[in-house]
Amino acid sequence: MTDPVALAILVSIGAVLIRLWRGPTAWDRLLAYNSAANRIIGVLAIVAVTAHKSALLDIAIVYVALSFLGVVVLARFLERGGSFR
Amino acid sequence: MTGMIFIYLGGLLILIGTIGILRFHDVYSRLQASGLSDNVGLTLLLIGLIINGGWERYDWALVLLIALLLATNPIATHSIAKSAFVQDHAQRRGK
Repeated sequence: MTDPVALAILVSIGAVLIRLWRGPTAWDRLLAYNSAANRIIGVLAIVAVTAHKSALLDIAIVYVALSFLGVVVLARFLERGGSFR
Repeated sequence: MTGMIFIYLGGLLILIGTIGILRFHDVYSRLQASGLSDNVGLTLLLIGLIINGGWERYDWALVLLIALLLATNPIATHSIAKSAFVQDHAQRRGK
């Protein structure tokens, strides 16, 4: 029953990766990475509840923490004047 | 039935946020679309997944996931916005 929602979120992961590919600035790419991580967490939660695999929920929790750490570290690096553009 | 309404509403919000990320012209507008719709959409989706199958043993992990997302996602959005703002002003002041 929740398969159309998972499919729609997968399509939107592809659409967000377009923004990650041709973002004009580095912050666009960072934003697209953050959004793609959020959508991956949604797909993981749907698959875990539908297929009764609770290990995927643990993976999702660790993924939230690691993606948050990566986004904040890269944003602070760009804020202090690091340059990859 | 109520859970399915929540799940479909969350998926719809995530799709609207994707359109916003693709179509807006500015970093701050894209941050607005991404931050608001992702947070609300994911929270609605996970609440719907909790409601839909009844209370099972692994639903505590979903509650923890909602709490973690509501704690970390606004901080990440604010961090990106502050970084873009500070760098923009540093470049303008330098020139």
